[in-house]
Amino acid sequence: MSAAADATADAAQLGRALETLETVILGKPEQIRLCLACLLARGHLLIEDVPGVGKTTLAHALAHVLGLAWQRVQFTSDLLPADIIGVSVFDRGSQRFHFRQGPLFTQLLLADEVNRASPRTQSALLEAMEERQVSADGTTYALPEPFFVVATQNPHEQLGTFALPESQLDRFLMCVTLGYPDAAHERALLRGGERRELLAGIAAALSPAAVVRLQRQVRTVHLSEALLDYLQTLIARTRERADLRLGLSPRAAQGLIRAAQAWAFINGRPAVLPEDVQAVLPPLVAHRLQRREAAQGLGDLAAELIRSVPVPA
Amino acid sequence: MKAPAAAQAVPLPFLPLALSCAAFGGGLLLHIDRVPAWASLAALVLIAWRLGAARRASFLPGPYLRSFLALAMSAVVLARFHTLNGLSAGTTLLTLMAALKLLETHKPRDEAVLIGAGLFLLLAACLDRQDLVRAPLYALQAWLCCTALAALATPELPLTRALRLSARTLLLAAPLAVALFVFFPRLPGSFWAIPRGNSALTGLSDSISPGSITQLVADYSVAFRARFSGSPPPRPQLYWRGPVLHQFDGRTWRRLDTAARPPLHLEFLGEPVHYRIALEPTQQRFWFALDTPAAAPAGRVFLTSDSQLVSAEPVTQATAYEAVSYLATRTRERLAAVGIREDTALPPGSNPRTRELATRLREHSADDAALAAAALDFLRTNGFVYSLEPQPLGPNAVDDFLFRTREGFCGHYASAFVTLMRAAGVPAHVVTGYLGGEWNPIGGYFEVHQSDAHAWTEVWIAGRGWVRIDPTAVVAPERLTRGMLQLMPQAYPLSEQLLQRSAWLTALLQRWDAANTWWSDRVVKFSYASQLDLLARFGVKTPDAGYLGWAFAAALVLWLLATGLAALVPRRRGDELGRAYRRLCARLARIAPARAAHQGPLDYCETVLAVRPDLRASLGALIAHYAQLRYGPGAAAPEAVARFARAVRRLRLAPAR
Repeated sequence: MSAAADATADAAQLGRALETLETVILGKPEQIRLCLACLLARGHLLIEDVPGVGKTTLAHALAHVLGLAWQRVQFTSDLLPADIIGVSVFDRGSQRFHFRQGPLFTQLLLADEVNRASPRTQSALLEAMEERQVSADGTTYALPEPFFVVATQNPHEQLGTFALPESQLDRFLMCVTLGYPDAAHERALLRGGERRELLAGIAAALSPAAVVRLQRQVRTVHLSEALLDYLQTLIARTRERADLRLGLSPRAAQGLIRAAQAWAFINGRPAVLPEDVQAVLPPLVAHRLQRREAAQGLGDLAAELIRSVPVPA
Repeated sequence: MKAPAAAQAVPLPFLPLALSCAAFGGGLLLHIDRVPAWASLAALVLIAWRLGAARRASFLPGPYLRSFLALAMSAVVLARFHTLNGLSAGTTLLTLMAALKLLETHKPRDEAVLIGAGLFLLLAACLDRQDLVRAPLYALQAWLCCTALAALATPELPLTRALRLSARTLLLAAPLAVALFVFFPRLPGSFWAIPRGNSALTGLSDSISPGSITQLVADYSVAFRARFSGSPPPRPQLYWRGPVLHQFDGRTWRRLDTAARPPLHLEFLGEPVHYRIALEPTQQRFWFALDTPAAAPAGRVFLTSDSQLVSAEPVTQATAYEAVSYLATRTRERLAAVGIREDTALPPGSNPRTRELATRLREHSADDAALAAAALDFLRTNGFVYSLEPQPLGPNAVDDFLFRTREGFCGHYASAFVTLMRAAGVPAHVVTGYLGGEWNPIGGYFEVHQSDAHAWTEVWIAGRGWVRIDPTAVVAPERLTRGMLQLMPQAYPLSEQLLQRSAWLTALLQRWDAANTWWSDRVVKFSYASQLDLLARFGVKTPDAGYLGWAFAAALVLWLLATGLAALVPRRRGDELGRAYRRLCARLARIAPARAAHQGPLDYCETVLAVRPDLRASLGALIAHYAQLRYGPGAAAPEAVARFARAVRRLRLAPAR
């Protein structure tokens, strides 16, 4: 099969994967697309929401439909780095230490309630996320490809949590909230029974190799000068504003480009349009930009940003 | 000239040809009221002929017919004007010949000749009339001609582009034109004045007969504008002196050459009044001044012994002058014998009843002043009526007026009063001029209209000199404080009456008049003296033409620098594409909400489709095309951008029926 044919087939399968996901996670097409875009942009995803709105189901469904191996780690305050990375154990037979891989060595890791773990464990996870490799006892172990972390945190639970610092949050490409389903979809949910059981009957639409190929294709989506102008103005605006604690970092800017490329790719466009940037901007800035105390609670920051920058015309 | 067959076979591109015709036609329109109607009509027919031939490639006349037409038209002009020179005849001939040139327009060069004719007509119009109201017309004509030149140079240029190109060029040149206007040394005097044909005389003339003032009174056009340096005198004292009439033939009063009279030495009483008068052209030699001017305001204007200002040349163009007047004078001198003779002369045997009345009044009066008062009493007490439509008078006009009709206006009263005085042996004469004027609060000046024309009298009282007596004031005292229009609205056309009733319309007209006055004072009459004044204001000690040259050179260098810098600043890439897209958005904004600045193309497309779903196919493709050009791979090729711009123009937004 030629590369071009591969690409066409992958794109078709991607569409099918999307459709399937929408049958499992009801009424959240936007979030599903954002999750996929995040994955295709080789970013990690933070889901900030209350329990029981389908975070785990979403992660599970993603892994299943994309054909990825997945692991789930429930983060607690006594979780140690070794618990996720793995430990070296002494093998009697060979008389040597042998590294036993932790749950991190998977393609899709669901890190539940990531803010419950101690900062030490958090930073071990976040380092692995960034480097896509793990060092233990002087040996470097590469993580599988693709590697995608879906972390969740519960914003309403403050007791006994260690809030992720800005520098760590910056490593998540996107932060999405699922929110409660609307009435019609909740009804369908109530009728439909257990969602996770549905997954058992669904075949994987993609494979790890196909996901990697798709990730590569996303990087080829065209970025015009006009669009980069627009994007830079947008980034600069976050840095100029007096009511923000911090502007977007260059890493965030790179992430924005990749996410916009992935969004354009999912929508079948050969080039990134301002609309693509605007679509991925809200989950991108949600966990990165914070208003100063005096200006808190003043409404949708992302929408405000978008409205303040004219597109090239 | 033998028409080259090849050139005729390849028709000229339509747009440049049409624009050349338009440039010429525009020039024609500027002169439409100067050129006889038949000539304009002929030119328009020729334009239509040429345009028709361009579309249908039908025939254009051969050389013989053209020659014949040229000779015939010249002959007609010669027959009508008896000359081929001068403004009217010259313009007529030019328009006709340029129109004929159309019929042998086969090459772009011929079209250039036609545009040249349009520009020449514009120049002629500029020399001819410089009213504010015509300035925009001239600008339009300049734009049209430049557009035609642009289209001629680049035939594939669409009309809008040609219009924009020429507008930009003209705007670019405008600062240079202003610099030339301000700094190019002006030739003093009326170098540019065109020899005019015999234009109609307007305003007061050097004679009045019953009825002549009535024509003026119905004329609401402005005679002159007067701006006082201090506070203006009260309105009933605004007697603007014009021609003084001495000679009476029983019906008509005429001016007399009073050069033979020795000058009177007047004592000026009270404060001097300083003012500036802007006189409209009258083609006559009178200048107007308030009451008694102290001196002649300019070199070639003379102050006569009866205090008139008379110019050596007729007033052919708007003229402005400063003057000083006194509202009261006195002289203890005696009137010279020639003055007494001329100002007591009456046609022999005329108006016997008036003479009889004069004798009777004389007997009952102690002196000349008492006699004048008695005569005024006679007018006051015998049922005289002010009327602009008096009954016609017989051969002894004064008798008829004083004893039979007893109705009339200023001319009748002044004439009768002077006759009465002269019959009693008191020197007297009629003074014509204007009374009052309309205060323009925006411009801060009085507009004196032809309708303010008035006639009053001056009577010689020993020991006091000439004393102004206005017999009309006895009969219609309100004439002193109100204009004729308020006094007798029924004498005016309906339009003027309506105008008087609408306060805002009046205010608007006053504004317009003030703007016009500014224009003619500051722009049209900008002279060498004004240029030197300007230099002096910028601190030049001894301004002269040399400094003007330097100032112009500096302005030129500044302009070159500014335009050069503007040209150096790089134009934004894809500007053309952006312009086409903005045009598209502007068109869509008429049928749907306008595009918000942050809306991307697809986003806005959805906004429009929400209102007009029927556009999905056409607009969707167009927007996709734009998105591809703007954001797609590879720099947008100019041809592709042009294709997009064309598609934008062709997009139909009318709802499908």
